[in-house]
Amino acid sequence: MTVIHENMEDTGAKMKARDVSVFYGDNKAIDSVSIDISPDYVTAFIGPSGCGKSTFLRCFNRMNDTISTARVTGSIELEGENILGDAMDVVQLRARVGMVFQKPNPFPKSIYDNIAYGPKIHGLAEKKADLDVIVEKSLTRAGLWDEVKDRLADSGTALSGGQQQRLCIARAIAVDPEVILMDEPASALDPIATAKIEELIDELSGRYAIVIVTHSMQQAARVSQRTAFFHLGKMVEYGPTSDIFTNPIEERTKDYITGRYG
Amino acid sequence: MSSTPLTPGMAAEPARERPTRTAEFEKRLAKRYRAERNFRALGLGAIGLSIAALIFLLANMLINGIPGLQRAELAVEIDFAEAGVTGDEVSLTAPSAMQVLELQGLPEVVDLYAERSLGEEGAEEIYKDAWRDVARALAEDPALIYGSATLWLPASSDLASGLNDEGSSEMQALADRLQAEGKLAKNWDMGFFARSDATSPQMAGIWGALKGSILTMLVTFALAFPVGILAALYLEEYAPKNRWTDLIEVSINNLAAVPSIIFGLLGLAVFLTLFPNLRSTPIIGGMTLALMTMPVIVISGRNAIKAVPPSIRDGALAVGASPVQVVFHHVLPLALPGMLTGTIIGMARALGETAPLILIGMRAFVATPPDGFTAPATVLPMQIFLWSDEIDRGFVERTSATIIVLLLFLLLMNGIAIYLRNKFEKTW
Repeated sequence: MTVIHENMEDTGAKMKARDVSVFYGDNKAIDSVSIDISPDYVTAFIGPSGCGKSTFLRCFNRMNDTISTARVTGSIELEGENILGDAMDVVQLRARVGMVFQKPNPFPKSIYDNIAYGPKIHGLAEKKADLDVIVEKSLTRAGLWDEVKDRLADSGTALSGGQQQRLCIARAIAVDPEVILMDEPASALDPIATAKIEELIDELSGRYAIVIVTHSMQQAARVSQRTAFFHLGKMVEYGPTSDIFTNPIEERTKDYITGRYG
Repeated sequence: MSSTPLTPGMAAEPARERPTRTAEFEKRLAKRYRAERNFRALGLGAIGLSIAALIFLLANMLINGIPGLQRAELAVEIDFAEAGVTGDEVSLTAPSAMQVLELQGLPEVVDLYAERSLGEEGAEEIYKDAWRDVARALAEDPALIYGSATLWLPASSDLASGLNDEGSSEMQALADRLQAEGKLAKNWDMGFFARSDATSPQMAGIWGALKGSILTMLVTFALAFPVGILAALYLEEYAPKNRWTDLIEVSINNLAAVPSIIFGLLGLAVFLTLFPNLRSTPIIGGMTLALMTMPVIVISGRNAIKAVPPSIRDGALAVGASPVQVVFHHVLPLALPGMLTGTIIGMARALGETAPLILIGMRAFVATPPDGFTAPATVLPMQIFLWSDEIDRGFVERTSATIIVLLLFLLLMNGIAIYLRNKFEKTW
């Protein structure tokens, strides 16, 4: 049974998941999870490896569609519209709900083209000048502008790992999404690059609803205001981050955050 | 590490050797190194053998082929003014020049001056249509008509054999005499690249076959490349994974392994039944070879698509690219170098193919270069096949020269493909 702390029912929730289950073939990876994602906070999903937190995250922009054996039941609403329904256009959904992956995956194109790609395919810029503005704004927000402004024509893959990940964040915010999903965005980075990403998440929160999956409890404690703890495909506990870490209700949560398993 | 024992127990048996420091271990180590040395030697030997074979092949072709690019020619001094052959720049370069000069008796004039220059015996060994070469020389330089000029005219193929110390002894003696007088020589024959097949090796050229090959390859490429790439993209990116697609995959793999002559039978049975008027033409040849090339392109294309990292696809999908945009903006550009490699392998195989083309009639004697995709033509490997069958010794040299041209053509095709591949190659 899921324990949800008091005052977590959010009338202004950006996304509402209700009884979401995910199956890989006959294997149930996520079991009936319900959660509200607030637009004002950073929400962290924590839990041991294989608990299904990434699988659950990928439901929010239907990236599980790319896995032919995956099946999602239940409903996820984005501002009242069920995104799992057939009426939802998945291209539009992904423009509204951006994603940053575990391993930085810039396109093997120039830095400029990496950022401009999304706005271009969605027709968000009419003139080259508009596109230039979007590129500069996105890179500035991602804290990368000063480092790359003189070499926008260089390949995105030539950047360092941390820079590549910030490039991917800039790519995600270039189409001005409402929600950004981050799947362990700092797990492949060194501590300094990680600190920069965390700083960036802090700056972006409030402007976008952010959901971050992390295996690092310290990171969840540092960047998020809400934390959901997952275990064996179930959401065990969901509450304000400070409560989850200092005063967990469930025994399993307590065991995990005190390092008994994970 | 220091030799200080970690526990008192270990100190009690100081004589005990560590397992990695025994003589047996060193023996095993030496054996491992020996195995490695042997393996490297074997690998080097294999590479050396293939390089030696390649060098032997190329050197052999070059040595045999160079005489094929030459031709035995006789020097004949013709005084056009004295002979009364007339004309001017306009008439000599006009398309009708050949007939006009023939009416003026140029063939007899050439015979007459050949007899003067070479003697009766020598004049007989001028190639019978040599006056046409004279007419061409006049078209190139009309000023010759106002005076006399020494022209090198093709010798008969008997005399050419004599020059190579082959054939009858009289011919060898004549060749020796004319050569000593400086009137018979082997000259570079650039016309080889401009003429087409002929009954005499002295007049034979490869332009017809080369043009036929180029036209056939264009048809093959135009059909096999787009169809192969689209099939590969569909099978990898869109097709559901079920029994039908498995069946298609197996069929394509089998198609790539089918002996080429079977494709010729297919071309004969299908294409020539549908278009009976297009026998021996590059378009039918190209269609037949495209059938053979397409499976190779599909297989290599699918492998190239599989090699595109899924993270790039995810990245594109996550910013809201539609599946078609993912394919054409990301997957195809990254897979293109691999696809081109497969295409060039398939095209190279098609370029060297004779068997299927025999069945659709491309082994005909075609003395004029094809003027389009629907004109009868032959191709380079077919020309090699046809000439290698000739009795006349001169054709053997021509065959080697044709092989050199075929190899150069192949090299050029590969070069273009490598250039394109490197141009599109990206790292991720």
